[in-house]
Amino acid sequence: MKKILFYILLIFGAVAFTYPFFWMISASFAPETEIGKLVFLPSKFLLYSYRQVFAKIPIGRAFLNSLLVSASVTTGVLIFGSMIGYSLSRLRFRGRDLIFYIIIFTMTLPFQITLIPQYILMVKFHWVDTYLALIVPHLMNAFAILIFRQHFQTIPQVLIDAARIDGCNEFQIIFRVLWPNSIPALVTVGIITFMTSWNDVLWPLIVIRDDKLMTMPQLVALFAVGGRAESQLGVKLAAATLLAAPIVLAYLFFQKYFIQSMATTGLKE
Amino acid sequence: MTPYLLVSPYILFFLVFVAFPVIFSAVLTLHRWNIIAPMKFVGLHNFIRLFQDRMFFRSLLNTMIFLAVHIPLQIIVALFFAEMLNQKIKFRKFFRAAYFLPVVVSGVVVTMLWQQLYGFDSGLLNRLLIHLGLPKIGWLSNPRIAMPSIALVATWKNVGLYIVLFLVGLQSVPEQQYEAARLEGATHWQQFWFVTFPSINPTIFMVLVLSTIGGFSLFIEPYIMTGGGPLNSTLSTILYIYKEGFFYYHLGYATTVGFAFAVLILLVVVLQRKFIEKEYA
Amino acid sequence: MIFAAILPGCSQKRDQRSENLVYWSSNNQNEIEFANAMVSEWNRRHPDQPIHTQPVPEGQSSEEVILAAVVGKTTPDIYSNMWQGDVEGYARAGAIVPLDTLPGFNEFLAERCDSAVIAEVTSSDGHIYQIPWKINPIMLIYNVKEMQSIGFARAPVTYSQFLEAGKRFQEDRDGDGYVDRWIGYANVKVTWWLRLFDFYPFYLAASNGGHLIQNNKVVFNNQYAVEVFRFLRTLYKKNYFTRERLDTRSDVFFAGDIASKFTSPWEITRIERYKSQNFDYGFSQIPTPDSHRGNVYTYADPKNMVIFSTTKNPLLAWQFIKFMISKENDLRLLEMTHQLPRRRNLFRDAFFAEFFARNPRMIPFAKQAKYVRGPDLSPVLKEIFDIISQEYEACVIYGVKSPEKAIQDAARAARLLLM
Repeated sequence: MKKILFYILLIFGAVAFTYPFFWMISASFAPETEIGKLVFLPSKFLLYSYRQVFAKIPIGRAFLNSLLVSASVTTGVLIFGSMIGYSLSRLRFRGRDLIFYIIIFTMTLPFQITLIPQYILMVKFHWVDTYLALIVPHLMNAFAILIFRQHFQTIPQVLIDAARIDGCNEFQIIFRVLWPNSIPALVTVGIITFMTSWNDVLWPLIVIRDDKLMTMPQLVALFAVGGRAESQLGVKLAAATLLAAPIVLAYLFFQKYFIQSMATTGLKE
Repeated sequence: MTPYLLVSPYILFFLVFVAFPVIFSAVLTLHRWNIIAPMKFVGLHNFIRLFQDRMFFRSLLNTMIFLAVHIPLQIIVALFFAEMLNQKIKFRKFFRAAYFLPVVVSGVVVTMLWQQLYGFDSGLLNRLLIHLGLPKIGWLSNPRIAMPSIALVATWKNVGLYIVLFLVGLQSVPEQQYEAARLEGATHWQQFWFVTFPSINPTIFMVLVLSTIGGFSLFIEPYIMTGGGPLNSTLSTILYIYKEGFFYYHLGYATTVGFAFAVLILLVVVLQRKFIEKEYA
Repeated sequence: MIFAAILPGCSQKRDQRSENLVYWSSNNQNEIEFANAMVSEWNRRHPDQPIHTQPVPEGQSSEEVILAAVVGKTTPDIYSNMWQGDVEGYARAGAIVPLDTLPGFNEFLAERCDSAVIAEVTSSDGHIYQIPWKINPIMLIYNVKEMQSIGFARAPVTYSQFLEAGKRFQEDRDGDGYVDRWIGYANVKVTWWLRLFDFYPFYLAASNGGHLIQNNKVVFNNQYAVEVFRFLRTLYKKNYFTRERLDTRSDVFFAGDIASKFTSPWEITRIERYKSQNFDYGFSQIPTPDSHRGNVYTYADPKNMVIFSTTKNPLLAWQFIKFMISKENDLRLLEMTHQLPRRRNLFRDAFFAEFFARNPRMIPFAKQAKYVRGPDLSPVLKEIFDIISQEYEACVIYGVKSPEKAIQDAARAARLLLM
């Protein structure tokens, strides 16, 4: 008997967390006038809202922008994070501890203080409205560095020594020895970095003003707030659905990795 | 040689994107600048203005209201579902995936979606209330309810993550401890309080810290849903900085707000760690 | 990292056709077509001095994009969509050319505009940095059938008439206990520029074109502002206007949920495109206080042309501007975009008579064109409107302050700002 109660509550929870998305998708296919009364499915499925989205804003381009930026940032973070993490965990040199403390310090530094000066830097470098402004300031991630450092500490020294004897330089050690043995860490850092980069809206809103370079969440957010949707509700919801689609699809297939990554990250805090 | 080569990109990055901004931030607080005209030194004028700035203090109050609703709600709901998922039930992975869904979806989508659900006339929530014979609620138009409404959305979005975290914590409690408690005649409640609760304390603390930091970073929800209104009740400090800095280009003043806010955040985080960690360490 | 190196090349903003002048139009479809027509015609006549046009890059607002261009020194030579309120700031920063230093400018301007307008666009240093191009006067658009159904053959024109119409129109159609029909609508968000489309037109109408700021002093703390606040506050208090945001819903004007709203001629194209067969609408003045006498003014929403200081050939730029705003091309502007050129006696000028005969919907706007005002000249205009907007929200929308106190507080905050 108690079990049935549990199931009812659990199902209620599942509905509470998923139904709103279902409604959103439904509304995006519904005729504009029906949306105010919609509960489950529209009376007919129209592509009108989607056509409007594509006609009004360069959402396809924004998707590619987001892809490019997030992929670049993730690649950068993985590579640089490994480099620094490796140096801090396995190499000895003067200033190693200082750098470690600096990294911890940057983690505690609230971004609210660096936001505006970083924008001014972008202006001075002439990076405003370029991909550089979106990518470069995010190439180093203290968090990733620490995860790699922690993980690399667990790799047996013998492997590294063996590689050195073979004549590998430090880079080759990272990519040929450490990486193959750090797949979970790579996946975790990769997914988190990609998602954080993809969902970031504040920074693009600050440094990008030109449509052609906007990231997808940024473009849709501006679409929601600005007048281009001409108060057509279905159109805004269609844009939101398009924005949600890539990550949700990835999630449906790889949910295990998503959940694990974010959980381990949380625990490591 | 090589270690320095490996860390040099980071050193460069740190100097350019961290050290310089922090120092320049301090400098900028003493100036007035609107980006097209030259910078003008104004001494402590910005700080004097800050201490009289009602909007700034309102934004701080709003943040506190947000946290006051968001954190307890988050912890209770997450624990509740985690506790249930911890029982022997089928389809656990399915439920977990469903609860986690809003976590991965972009905040922009969640905000746009909930703005509709909160609509006064034809939003789903009010339609449901009418259906049940209850009065409509001005979710986003009532100055007293708007911020809690936003806190509700933030909870809805993130609670899946904390359910998972609590679940991990709960599953690490050995069954024997419960056995022992039951043998001593402990009720379900007592089991929870004396066995479960101490084990998940670290997790609760982590939820607290993460949620607090999230609350201080609140931006996209008020930006899209309310623009800071009604009556500035949903103006988060980040939104205020954004408006001052990137809408009016009062760069000197916006930096001052950011600076003061950052100091406050550091204080809160440090206090949290000292006080709470001590209590439960 | 290779991406990082290539990409700046890809997104080359400083597209330098360094010989030819560049003209940025707005990114409104009709205006883009107009700009293309202008440029083709010019290039045909002056093949040795071609001009290149492109729409201002898309962003959240063209004002933002222009600011970014000024900062990055990637401005075009000519820009035609400069909001009059932005000019003073750019002028003081030296970003735009003082046009009155160009030969023939003053005469041209005197012929195009009357002295009131010229005074409006003259900067605090005595120079003129912009030339008036077009306006979109704010007027009341109303649903003819709905107005008739409550006994108004034409739209209400005084505050008491409007309130009476509000009372008659108010209804709870679906019986859920909540009003779902309102006589009109104004956006309730606090964004400063929204006041340009509600408070400001009302203030101008009530005060016969009064100023908010004059000679860097606050002059809006007067009875007109208070009356406007009081009237609008009553609308919200009695729920003749709703506090909910209707702009997130499907179009409420077509649906008959609201009987009127405030808009400008550009809406005509939109309405014709989306309306249903038997939807009839009309335009009327902004309502005025019962005691009002004289002509009814409104907000012009003026957009003007400027030449950026980065230009290499200001004289040529000026020639092109003169060409674009000649009488013939002003007529083309009317025909292609349904926006009014800001020239004196637009309605009485025989040159445009045939156009208005063919487009009677535009006539109310043409008549109104004589009685419009642009924003006051002040580098902190946005902040002033923001201050007014904050008080507007507190007093008009939420009724937590009296109109007198609200205006007083706004004036005080504005004075602090202007010090």
